[in-house]
Amino acid sequence: MRFPSWATILVLAIFLALIPSFRPSVYMLSFLSLLLMYAALATSWNIAGGYTGYLSFGHVAFFGVGGYTTALLLIAFKWSPLWTSWLGGLLAALFATLVGYPCLRLHGPYFSLVTLILALAVKVIVLNMRWTGGSSGLWIPLPPWDTFTTRVIFFEAMVFLLAFVLLVARAIYLGKIGKGLTAIRENEIVAQAIGINTTYLKMVAFITSAFLTGVIGGLYSYMQNYIHPDMMFDPTISVFMVLMALFGGAKTWFGPLIGAATLRVVDEILTLSIQAEMARILFGLILAGVVLFMPDGLSALVVQSVSKLKKVAAEKVG
Amino acid sequence: MNFFLQVMISGLLLGTTYALLGVGFSLIWGVARVLNITHAIFAVLAAYAAYWPMKLYNLDPFLILLGIIPLFFLLGVLLYEGPIRLLERRTPNLELSSLVLTFGLAYALENMMAYLWSPGPRLLNTPYTGHSLSLLGIYFPLTQVYSFLLSVVTIVAIYLFLYHTHLGKAVRAVWQDRDGAVLSGVNLHSVTAITYGVAIASAGVAGVAMALIYAFNPAIHLGWLIYIFLVVIMGGVGSMLGAGVAGLFTGLVINLSVLFIPFAWSNLLLFSGLLLLLFIRPRGLLQR
Repeated sequence: MRFPSWATILVLAIFLALIPSFRPSVYMLSFLSLLLMYAALATSWNIAGGYTGYLSFGHVAFFGVGGYTTALLLIAFKWSPLWTSWLGGLLAALFATLVGYPCLRLHGPYFSLVTLILALAVKVIVLNMRWTGGSSGLWIPLPPWDTFTTRVIFFEAMVFLLAFVLLVARAIYLGKIGKGLTAIRENEIVAQAIGINTTYLKMVAFITSAFLTGVIGGLYSYMQNYIHPDMMFDPTISVFMVLMALFGGAKTWFGPLIGAATLRVVDEILTLSIQAEMARILFGLILAGVVLFMPDGLSALVVQSVSKLKKVAAEKVG
Repeated sequence: MNFFLQVMISGLLLGTTYALLGVGFSLIWGVARVLNITHAIFAVLAAYAAYWPMKLYNLDPFLILLGIIPLFFLLGVLLYEGPIRLLERRTPNLELSSLVLTFGLAYALENMMAYLWSPGPRLLNTPYTGHSLSLLGIYFPLTQVYSFLLSVVTIVAIYLFLYHTHLGKAVRAVWQDRDGAVLSGVNLHSVTAITYGVAIASAGVAGVAMALIYAFNPAIHLGWLIYIFLVVIMGGVGSMLGAGVAGLFTGLVINLSVLFIPFAWSNLLLFSGLLLLLFIRPRGLLQR
């Protein structure tokens, strides 16, 4: 996998950040914010799921922890989620540290199952606590700006987060840690045998991934007027993270981005034109289809066609 | 005291259905090395298959079961011959890929049911719902007794199939040693297909048994799946007796915990129990 330089990521982010100056509609801005959010989520999921091969089906737990942290702090102390979302991330990271050690001792399907169950368990806890609003949910105070400004602020925040997540993912992947994580994905026993501290590396990847997911969740809850455990801990969000990363291609940096963009557009069109359930049926089938027909995701197709073009070009020149 | 006994016995009756779900799940896991996430969704599908004819034509669920069993056997074979076979040829890591594949299929099926029949809860309202049987001062709801009988008969049938037929012997051979079985002339392909058929048919029966007692909706399959994991991990794959005991234990815990803690927390108790079990045995007691 070739990561772009950090300058490329920054230029891309600045380019994206300029979009609101063209005064798009509020709907368009919300749609793009969600698209960027899912791109950031899929990229953070990929740090644990794609680099190490430990497929977590329970990342929504970190998302929800982040979201509830900012919402509760906003209601109790009027602290703005724009900065408390980092606290939400820290709390999610703390939670990941607690559960990560025992979970990461499990391999393959067992790990996926336990993370799935863990997310369900966290949802049950939040649903039954009084201080989280329980099953009646929480009303979030409205941001103090007019609708368009609010949407622009959320959009810019998401652009910033996506760039941040990409830079973190880049640093991890290109650094020594990334080499170790790839070794773990390819063959964990061999990695251990050549002296890689696999437990430590897996924990770093898992906690970083959880931290970023928590930060994004913290901002997401601020974008809503009302949150409920059913939506902040919706297993569908976990499914989306896995699906987007795998669909785009978990082995490349831009895979999760393509995956998120494609699936968000498909989801929006299907939900508007047919029905949400129809969209989900299709997503389930896409997930199955990705495993069957393109295990390396869309990005593999892109990479293949690019190298083919290069070959053709080289032949013409030569 | 009588109340306590009552709760315990109804927990045990319930447990047999969990055991049945666990037995079918571990059949596929043992023979084909596939963690079949669709197992519980097929159970829910069977619950709907029993619900509609009863609702529309007043047919008894037990009569409908005669159709459900062969139909679900066929669905199981199709599941194997279609997606799973395709995957087997393409993936180096069947355990993990099949998990993602069946997860996707289950998700699609769940939402298909929600789309067709609404996500709301349904209840099998049979002529004997609400009646109960009294024995030594303890009352058994008739639906619970029928559900229990259904599960027990099916478990016994699977046992007889595995241990007293030639084909069952082949299934056990593949389970114990794949290569060895093939070398001794077992047709791996057809044995695996039949295993899928038997397992999914048993999931169908278990779904009807569950529907006799509980309200169901498309999304409930995740909850049932957790019971299945609990039973399979506790009992260990490869042991019908283990699954039976683990199923009874699960039913007992579910019913007893409701006496002491609010219902919502009893699920949490089960989750923590399952997590604890997996942490003590990282490879799962699943690993034989």
